[in-house]
Amino acid sequence: MAVTAASVTAGGRRPGAIGGSPGEGGSRLGGIARAFWTSVRIGWRMEANWTDPLLFFIYSVAKPVSAALILVVMLSIVAGPAAANLRPFVVIGTALWSLVTSGISGLAWSILDDRERYRMLKYIYVSPADFVVVLLGRGVARLGVGAAGTIITIVIGILVLGVPFDLGRIDWPVLVLATLFGLTSVVALALLLAAICLQTRQESWSYPEAFAGAAFLVSGAVFPLTVLPAPVQVLGLVTPLGWWIEAARRAFLPDAPSGIGGAGSYLASINGGAVPSAAECLLALIVTGAVATLAAAVVFRFSVRRAQERGLLDLTTGS
Amino acid sequence: MSVMSQEPRVGAASEPAASPAAETPTTATPPASPAVPAGTPLALQVESVRRVYKAKSGAVTALAGVDLEVQAGELFGLLGPNGAGKTTLIKILTTLLAPTSGTAKVFGFDVEHETKRIRRIMNMVAGGEQSGYGILTVREQLWMFSQFYGMSSADGWKRSEALLDRVGLGEKKHQRVSTLSTGERQKMNLARGLMNDPWILFLDEPTLGLDVEAARSLRELMLEWRAAVPGRTILLTTHYMAEADELCDRIAIVHKGRILAIGTSAELKRRVQRESIFRVELDRLEGGVGSIAHLPGVVKATTAATDGGQAERQNVAINLVLEDDAALGAVVGALGTHGSRILGLQKSEPTLEDVFVELVGRGFEDEDEPEEHVDDPEAST
Repeated sequence: MAVTAASVTAGGRRPGAIGGSPGEGGSRLGGIARAFWTSVRIGWRMEANWTDPLLFFIYSVAKPVSAALILVVMLSIVAGPAAANLRPFVVIGTALWSLVTSGISGLAWSILDDRERYRMLKYIYVSPADFVVVLLGRGVARLGVGAAGTIITIVIGILVLGVPFDLGRIDWPVLVLATLFGLTSVVALALLLAAICLQTRQESWSYPEAFAGAAFLVSGAVFPLTVLPAPVQVLGLVTPLGWWIEAARRAFLPDAPSGIGGAGSYLASINGGAVPSAAECLLALIVTGAVATLAAAVVFRFSVRRAQERGLLDLTTGS
Repeated sequence: MSVMSQEPRVGAASEPAASPAAETPTTATPPASPAVPAGTPLALQVESVRRVYKAKSGAVTALAGVDLEVQAGELFGLLGPNGAGKTTLIKILTTLLAPTSGTAKVFGFDVEHETKRIRRIMNMVAGGEQSGYGILTVREQLWMFSQFYGMSSADGWKRSEALLDRVGLGEKKHQRVSTLSTGERQKMNLARGLMNDPWILFLDEPTLGLDVEAARSLRELMLEWRAAVPGRTILLTTHYMAEADELCDRIAIVHKGRILAIGTSAELKRRVQRESIFRVELDRLEGGVGSIAHLPGVVKATTAATDGGQAERQNVAINLVLEDDAALGAVVGALGTHGSRILGLQKSEPTLEDVFVELVGRGFEDEDEPEEHVDDPEAST
């Protein structure tokens, strides 16, 4: 098929013309959107296309569902009849944690996959597309897998575990805002880990999971912070993940037990023992999320520059 | 109009750029081809570029002050053994790696400060690697890059398919990348490299690991692409001397991070052969080689062994060392006077390997340096 200059432009400039201005390749926003959605699309193909849809569905939901069931059984044994009150607590925490683990690992694994396995990172980097936009697109695809797990865990929580979700009682504005800022924070933390993985060897595959494992303890997802020593509770309070999960809990079930505050918690020694309200959780989420996002942007920019200086963008450790 | 020859701006075909003699390493460049638009900046301008990598064992100098100028429209070759610094230079010019010191410009744009502009007008293809998203189809892989280069989705599909047809992968466009052979994957990579219709294409050992047929096909494609539009430039790194000899307008011989010599293939060969050497086969020679050794321009004449069967062994073969080619006329005239009939005449040419040996003191195969340098992440953290 013959392609003419009139029908195809190469990056928004006249094909074949040498010299002069290389052009800007159309609008900047248009270019960003195109690169982002292309990455989402390619990322989804890579996430979901390695097996048949049924097997992929099972893979996507088996982990969070089994995790929720294990925890519920544990709670039933440990807490006995009182466990019924903790089921919503555990189901919401586990459901949202599915987004955290997939979201945090998505960007870092994209870096490692593209650099070491597919050997494509250098070609993406030297294209005009915004590097961070391409990475975020790839991360969104993985976040989609996590979102499927979240939804299915909540549905199973309602249908199987009898979690009393009442759509009429859900504080939708809080839930929407908490989801928006919470996911932004997850992506920011993912960017931070991607920045670290850009500097390290292939063994850093496990870094995102290690980070998620540590954060799991201090975020109040399943274990209330009150069971942890005060210094560790402080760690939980300065990360946005705990505030996100707490805000989502308040939105779903205003009367659910608190994961980060209440009697005996470190937060209680600051605020006098009150369980933080949904608004307070949102405010704390916005502040800690903003700090995390800013830090991630700075660190990622620094990391890319350092990788370019040290020749790490096409590093293949082969291990 | 094919995908290779979109809307040339001036003229019809690119002429190989003429080059002045380059007996020593130099930054002198040939005059721009008349077909290249006036005012077009140098395709490459590299000044005192150094690159030092940190390693546990200490600093490794990959580039030790490289100066280089390449005119728009040239097919310029970097020839050197593994570890010479060729790939490091390409990485710097494609904005993948920052130089430790020095400046480098691509069509006038600085590699450190104008990266966005450079990325619009260049592309790169590396050989000897299995790059590509195996799970995507061939056309999806190309389309993805069309989007990164700012094309509309529809145009991206059209251009992807046109390029795949051109490189001979049209029938495999729906196959997964993982099913392609090494040669096919490299053709796909070349198609990706042409996706943005670059002004300059960086080819880093593009035929490495390919069979003879695939390598020839790839070389034809790159030559066709360059010839289609005046000003299209190629920087080719290779350690295949025949490839550099065959393709490049000019060649820089690189060794241990330094450019040792720059010139056309013929100019470089003249470095090691200042005289002209011919082998002449005659039916007879009255008076022996002494009868021509005294002729003007003849440096030396010696008898050589003849090849072939009994009939050929009746003939006489002589090796002639002449001051230059012009002296050959007098020799041929004198042989005619002596009644000798010339049965064969062959000029002996040095190879680029000879040039390398002359410059370095040893051949390519004697080199055992690492192929690629990189900062050791552990050393740098």
